[in-house]
Formats: sequence, structure tokens, C-alpha cells
Amino acid sequence: MNDQTLIDKAKASLGDKVLDITNPAPRRIFIKLKVDDLLAAVNWLKNEMGFTHLATITGVDLGQAFELIYHFANSFTCVNLRTEIPRDNPLLPSICQLIPGAVLYERELQDMFGIVVQNIPDGRPLVLPDDWPAGNYPLRKDWKYERPPEVIPGGKR
Amino acid sequence: MLTKLTQWSRLKSPWILHLNTGACNACDIEVVAALTPRFDVERFGILLKATPRHADVIVCTGPATRQMKDRLIRIYEQTPDPKFVIAVGACAMSGCVYRGAYNVIGGIDQVIPVDVYVPGCPVRPDAVIDGVVKLLNKLKG
Repeated sequence: MNDQTLIDKAKASLGDKVLDITNPAPRRIFIKLKVDDLLAAVNWLKNEMGFTHLATITGVDLGQAFELIYHFANSFTCVNLRTEIPRDNPLLPSICQLIPGAVLYERELQDMFGIVVQNIPDGRPLVLPDDWPAGNYPLRKDWKYERPPEVIPGGKR
Repeated sequence: MLTKLTQWSRLKSPWILHLNTGACNACDIEVVAALTPRFDVERFGILLKATPRHADVIVCTGPATRQMKDRLIRIYEQTPDPKFVIAVGACAMSGCVYRGAYNVIGGIDQVIPVDVYVPGCPVRPDAVIDGVVKLLNKLKG
């Protein structure tokens, strides 16, 4: 399977769901989608094209929106599904019904960006400490961190 | 007489607990290397223990992370008195490269009292042994 056949198949199967499709480097295909079409695209990738390995989900803070990149791989190539959700209403459908292992990445997205993943089977916090104050999302660009003052035991000499 | 005996036994067999509070594992490997027959710390009576309840000395590697803070205090409180803490590595001393990260408080000394600091990134096994021996000399004097 080379890149061009995969691009053609994506255009044929997903049709007008594909907003944009680029092939910036060999064996790397970016497919841009609306967030409502995400589940259909993941279903197509997994069940028809055999992309069973979701490497990770990347979240990017673009200012007005969050971009999410789903990195899929099979033994031939990588396909990255890119989608954007608005920052003031960050709702994302869970893909755990198709790929159960995605729950870890989705929980991390909830922790680090404050994205609300709908229909997530297990929405507990994952990476942040237990006593983390609510409403603080470290990977948002506008999040500021004030380091608590350190005490030197015994004082400075 | 009895105090002399306890002092002698304390100096001759400091049992240690190896504790990682969020290190990158380089210091842990060096601490484990210090326990191998090549360095032979058992000639000082140093023995690695699996639980804080059996330990006299906590050999602590890594910066104090926010998640580990309460657990670190709990481990410290589980250790029977008299207890001593050795901060092994630059991270345990000050936080090193993790200093200022949102999930790191700083060195171990921000959470529990520390007796001996062993610098290095990672430390050499000789330095760990030197730190323990320095602690024992401190107790002797």
C-alpha cells in the first residue's frame, strides 16, 4: 500500500468528511476532519484499513481552539487524523468503543487541557497529583505557575 | 552500658531503605551498584531493607514530587527512631533539572529533614558509601 492509494481510498470512503488531506513526507498522511466525523473516520481506519495501533493522541493549544492529532500506524504507514475543537466549549467524543486503549490518552487530555471527553468509560484523573487544585490545566498556554517559595533548612550561610 | 551497646550496634549495622521519590533511575542504579559485592558495603554492616519499619537510614533519590509528598512523610513516620535521611543526587538536594516544574516541590529537604547530602548527577557508588560513612562518623562524634 503506497501513500497515493491510501489517499485515494480515504477520499473515496470518507468523501466530503475530509476537509483536507496532505502528504508532507513519505509514509506520513495528515487527514483533517470535523470533530463530528471523527468516530466514522476512526472506524474506517480500524476496520477497513487495518490501522489497529493508536500510537498516541496529541493535544495542541492553538489559542482559540485545541487541535487534536490521532496518530495511527500499521506496518506500512502512519495516518494522523487532525481535528479542532473550540476552546470555550471543549467537547470531544471518546473513541474507546472502537479502541479501548485510548482511555489513557483521553484521561491525560482531560487532565492537561481540561477537554471534556464524552462517553469516556473511566474519567478519573491520571497524570496530575492527587491534591491538584481544580481548574488548573498545565498544558494550556495561558496557564501560569507560581512556584511556592523554597525554604533552606538551617538558613543560608 | 546500654547506651554504649545501642550506639555500637547502630554504628555497626546501619540498615538502609532505598527510596525513589521521582528520580530518573540513574541514581537508583548507582545506589544498587553500591550494594553489589564489588563495593561490598556489608563490611560496614550496611544492608538493604525492603520496608521502612526495619530501616535506620533512608537513602532517598530524586526530587520531592507533589504526588510523593504525603507518601514521603508517611514513610518517614513509619521508620523507627532514631532515623536518618541521606539525600542522594543533585535532584534530592535541590530538584536539579526538575526544579521549578509544576509537579515538583524541590529537594527532599523541603518535606523531611535531611542529615547528609550526596552531590552528583548521577552520584558515584563510592560517593554513596562515603555519604553513609560520613553519617556514621557524625553519629560517633
